[in-house]
Amino acid sequence: MSIRTWGRLVVITLAVVFVQVCVLNQIVIGGAHPDAFLLLAISAGLVAGPQRGAVMGFALGLVADAFVPTPYGLSSLCYVLVAFAVGLAAGTVTTRPTFGLQAATALLGGVGGTLLFAGLGTLIGQPSVPHHQLVVIVMVVAAGCVLFANPAYRLIEWTLAVAPGAYRDAGAFASGSAR
Amino acid sequence: MAASRRNTSQRLTLAILLLASITVITVAYKGEAQRAIGSVRNAAADVVAPLQRGVAAVLHPIGNLFAGMAGYGGVLGENQRLQLEVGHLRRQLIEAAQSQSQLDQLRSEQNLPFADGIPEVLGEVISSPASNFDLTIEVDRGTSDGVGVGMPVVSGVGLVGSVISAGQHTAIVQVLTDPRSEVGVRFGTGNVAVAVGQGEGDPLQLQDVSETSVTSRGAAVVTSGLDLAAYPSGIPVGTVASVHHTGGSLTSQVLVTPLVNLLVLQYVAVLQWFPPA
Repeated sequence: MSIRTWGRLVVITLAVVFVQVCVLNQIVIGGAHPDAFLLLAISAGLVAGPQRGAVMGFALGLVADAFVPTPYGLSSLCYVLVAFAVGLAAGTVTTRPTFGLQAATALLGGVGGTLLFAGLGTLIGQPSVPHHQLVVIVMVVAAGCVLFANPAYRLIEWTLAVAPGAYRDAGAFASGSAR
Repeated sequence: MAASRRNTSQRLTLAILLLASITVITVAYKGEAQRAIGSVRNAAADVVAPLQRGVAAVLHPIGNLFAGMAGYGGVLGENQRLQLEVGHLRRQLIEAAQSQSQLDQLRSEQNLPFADGIPEVLGEVISSPASNFDLTIEVDRGTSDGVGVGMPVVSGVGLVGSVISAGQHTAIVQVLTDPRSEVGVRFGTGNVAVAVGQGEGDPLQLQDVSETSVTSRGAAVVTSGLDLAAYPSGIPVGTVASVHHTGGSLTSQVLVTPLVNLLVLQYVAVLQWFPPA
């Protein structure tokens, strides 16, 4: 990725920090709130493919972990896997994903990412969340992901300077040759 | 050929990133790295705290607008005053109920620390849990205000939790219902146990309660001051919600409803009390 791309990534990361920490953390529904970092990792996988998406997911996770008391690196691990999986799953899509596809990806990514985070946390000794609470968290995070799927997608498009509608084959994205 | 090379490259990248993440988790778990990361987190919290305060100041009135469309400012002030008053009254009731059963013990332990005599630092809750998997709140008071790790946090009603991390201007408080929270409590007639959090909205569970322990629904539960003195004694925690005797078991399952509504906290007090060495 170019320096300009990294610069844009820094800008949107700071913006997402503000949105997550100052706004979304205040919107608590049933004890849970939407997760903007996870949504961005999902979008990164969808737009940039598995390889660059995973790199962006890793960087986003490191930043996200600075603001939560969970073990440092856990978000990175989760976002890497989510972005890579989304990138692989979307690898066959060679046109711009429709709004429906973006929403469906955000839904699946939100559900999968939240369950993955909970599972990984339990694996490394974090206290497990009661099942009913986990259901609420999954629903709130997934709903937030679906609601903001399109803006997040466009944000990543802008960050990577990918022209709307000018999609190449998945391989071009995966190998990092998209402009 | 190109596809094969691409797949190899992707897998290699994934492996490197996974390895890097696992390394970070491992390194950050203990020792100097953990302290360094704690400092980074505290610094990050201090940086965003002014923004959080600003946004909270905007969001709180909007939230309150739904609660009282007309004259919400006056209603809000009145409501807060009444909540504080009710909290003090409820605390007095519980303390009165508990005091009789503790009187003899307290006479023989005259040096017991007591919450009433402990200096307090009042703070505002500026953020709900930062993670969906941790039950913590952030308050706008830090080490520069005299707040330190391990200090108990209370509201007008009773115990909220304890400080687990303190930056210069902010502190993170782990609330009672967090599954990692453990509080030594006293209840009924001289019974002691450990109250463990079970998650958001769930009652606390008392561990290792003997079947012979005498208590009933509604009984007051206060901190015992005995669990290696993590909390001073006598702070109201909650009331007994249910008592179940399981056939064939030597212990009872006792659930406790916290007095403090942890979802709607706006102001708290940090007790400047450290566990005795």
